[in-house]
Amino acid sequence: MSAYFLHLAILGGIYIILAISLNLIIGYAGQVSLGHAAFFGIGAYISALTSLYWGFPFLLAALSAILFSGVCGLLLGLPTLRLKEDYLAIVTLGFGVIVDLVFLNLEITGGPDGLAGIPSPRILGLSFRSPVMYLFLTLFMVLLTLALTYRLVHSYHGRALRAIRDHEVTAQVMGINTPAYKVAIFTLAAALAGLAGSLYAHYITFINPESFGLHTSILALCMVVLGGMGSIAGAVVGALALTVLPELLRSFKAYQDLIYGGLLVALLIWRPEGLLGRGKLSLKFISRE
Amino acid sequence: MFLQQLLNGLTAGAVYALIALGYTMIYGILGLINFAQGEIYMFGAFVAVLLLGTGQVNFFVAFAAGMAAAAILGVVLERVAFRPLRGSHPLVPLISAIGASIFLQSLALLLFGPNDRPFPIQFNFRTITIAGLPLSSLQGAILVAALGLMVLLLLFVRYTRYGKAIVACALDQDTARLMGINVDRMVALTFLIGSALSGAAGIMMAIYYNATYPRMGLLPGLKAFSAAILGGVGNIPGAILGGVLLGVAESLGAAYVSSGYKDAIAFAILILVLLFRPQGILKGRGD
Amino acid sequence: MLTLKSVQAGYGKLTVLKGISFHVRPGEVVTLIGGNGAGKSTTLRAVSGLLPLWRGVVEFNGADLTRLPPERIVTLGLALVPEGRRIFASLSVTANLELGAFHRRDQRQARRDLEEIRERFPLLKERASQPAGTLSGGEQQILAICRALMSRPRLLMLDEPSMGLAPRMVNQVYKILRELKDEGTTLLLIEQNARAALKLADRGYVLETGRIILDGSAAELREDPEVQRAYLGKGYREVWE
Repeated sequence: MSAYFLHLAILGGIYIILAISLNLIIGYAGQVSLGHAAFFGIGAYISALTSLYWGFPFLLAALSAILFSGVCGLLLGLPTLRLKEDYLAIVTLGFGVIVDLVFLNLEITGGPDGLAGIPSPRILGLSFRSPVMYLFLTLFMVLLTLALTYRLVHSYHGRALRAIRDHEVTAQVMGINTPAYKVAIFTLAAALAGLAGSLYAHYITFINPESFGLHTSILALCMVVLGGMGSIAGAVVGALALTVLPELLRSFKAYQDLIYGGLLVALLIWRPEGLLGRGKLSLKFISRE
Repeated sequence: MFLQQLLNGLTAGAVYALIALGYTMIYGILGLINFAQGEIYMFGAFVAVLLLGTGQVNFFVAFAAGMAAAAILGVVLERVAFRPLRGSHPLVPLISAIGASIFLQSLALLLFGPNDRPFPIQFNFRTITIAGLPLSSLQGAILVAALGLMVLLLLFVRYTRYGKAIVACALDQDTARLMGINVDRMVALTFLIGSALSGAAGIMMAIYYNATYPRMGLLPGLKAFSAAILGGVGNIPGAILGGVLLGVAESLGAAYVSSGYKDAIAFAILILVLLFRPQGILKGRGD
Repeated sequence: MLTLKSVQAGYGKLTVLKGISFHVRPGEVVTLIGGNGAGKSTTLRAVSGLLPLWRGVVEFNGADLTRLPPERIVTLGLALVPEGRRIFASLSVTANLELGAFHRRDQRQARRDLEEIRERFPLLKERASQPAGTLSGGEQQILAICRALMSRPRLLMLDEPSMGLAPRMVNQVYKILRELKDEGTTLLLIEQNARAALKLADRGYVLETGRIILDGSAAELREDPEVQRAYLGKGYREVWE
């Protein structure tokens, strides 16, 4: 396996976690977050800072990242999730801009220079410095995330979430506590994005605000829409496709965003269920009537 | 110092208000956030700057052409990216708008390159002192022009047949159709007007900051949307009020609190407003 | 003037109209009566173009309306006063009236019509610049009728004009409809208040679960024992007369 392929596989795995977490918000809470990269970034910075300043081992640093991102998600979600979907979009977008500016202006985050020398993970004396080892670590986390979301989606709570997405008022009338569910899913999604951020920081070992701006939020959104909103397998495929595709189209680098933008619009018009979205479920979600 | 900052804020606020009007009108009639509004603003500025750069046209022709180009872009956008999606779950057109915004921004990057372009003609602006307050005649001109466009829009909506028809569509589309109003045409007209105003705003900012670049629409667009929410989405005077308030808050905040967080001020205010008064300062949706 | 031939329509998978045929001749007042969910409003929505037809034909003065959108149908002279009045609440009374004439080419004549209507209904003149939402229910109904008249319809369709109104206002609305009838306006009237409707109408159709089960002159229908039992509540005290 070439080093380059390994690199793509690791990045792909990290983006799978990010896309799955965003897909929980879009596909199961019927809301769109345009600031998802903020949670990704918070996870990355917390993980990096706790390792660098307090010497936290990887697992503890990752756990801190998950918890801190989750708490940020909870704090943002509590007051805002009762808003309509388009208001939430703009609030999360604003949150993303604010977090980005915080990274850029704080002293401890290194400002625009970011943080360098983030240690590679070491678990039970085992070093994950080599890409192969890191790929195993990433795959393990991906499987963990998949298992968690799969169980959630197919549980009683998953059905409640789908009911909220398809018909919020009906769900409320049936006695489902919709605000609590939305806040819970938003918190979980933020925490998972934090995990992805932690994995990213310890892999690249250098982070700066550029990696966590609006661009990344939109990339994550493209992954979800491409794969199919509300489909876990879709998030996986979408994340992999948009990690690999830009590499294949290297010579089209200048056209990358143009293609992403056009792709989003075209997909919504011609195949709103995404590549893997199951027609029936997703169409019910897409069509209001 | 304070008065100077206030004036800077008013100028930026007037421009935000112009963009916010487009957001609020489109939201009023379609219930859609047109995320690409900032890119329309940018295209308007580019068309004016490029035309002026040829040296063939005078300033007013270029200004009008920039507005017209923005208006056409808005109408095309509605046809291509929004009309096919009407009746979908509200998330769908929202994401489509985001896609359109990315597309236009990167298109501008390809067409015009990443660098700032200065405004091709230099105006001989002086600073006049009125009652001890130094007023740059550029700021004065922007304020007057923005105010003039807003008054025109208010008159149009309140007193013309088509203006009232747009409001009717925003209130109740089925009944509007029973009056013989073609809703599709009114939606297109709304995009036309809102986009023309954004184009004008873009040209004004291109002169004010002496810079035109592909990403110039991003933050003003987002801030203007915050302004529209602040004033109560769908409410035209509210959008103007919201824009001016945000511009002033941002200018004063940057001067007295922290300039590094200047761009965060608008969003912080937005989040606070949505928490305590989700319907905006004035009520939304034309009520 | 207006002819429906085996019209079928509905919402989603639900068939509401199961093949309806009827006609309205020039100068006539025709009423459709029927209970809740019989398909009365659906019929008017289908004729006015708001609801697409599944099957069947609607013709108006020789023109085929079947595939036309509502904004085209109204230009042919067919106006609908919708159920629940649906006035534009935040617009002024005058703006509501002006919108009624939106599609007309003769805007100058429309201005004269506006003056005429205001003379005839001083209420609309007194409240000219007030938001229409501040009017009472009965006043809003009058405004809705006048708004439809502003389009100079050749056939005026009314969907439950007495719904939700106080008895005094019902009488006032029906007084206006009677005047319109006496002026020769063709009316298609839908009512749950069958008593009021049959008093005004020349002919009527009885609609039940999406089908026309009975038709005849208003007098015949008033005397029909089935109609009396089901829609006129014969034997109960007459509420308003």
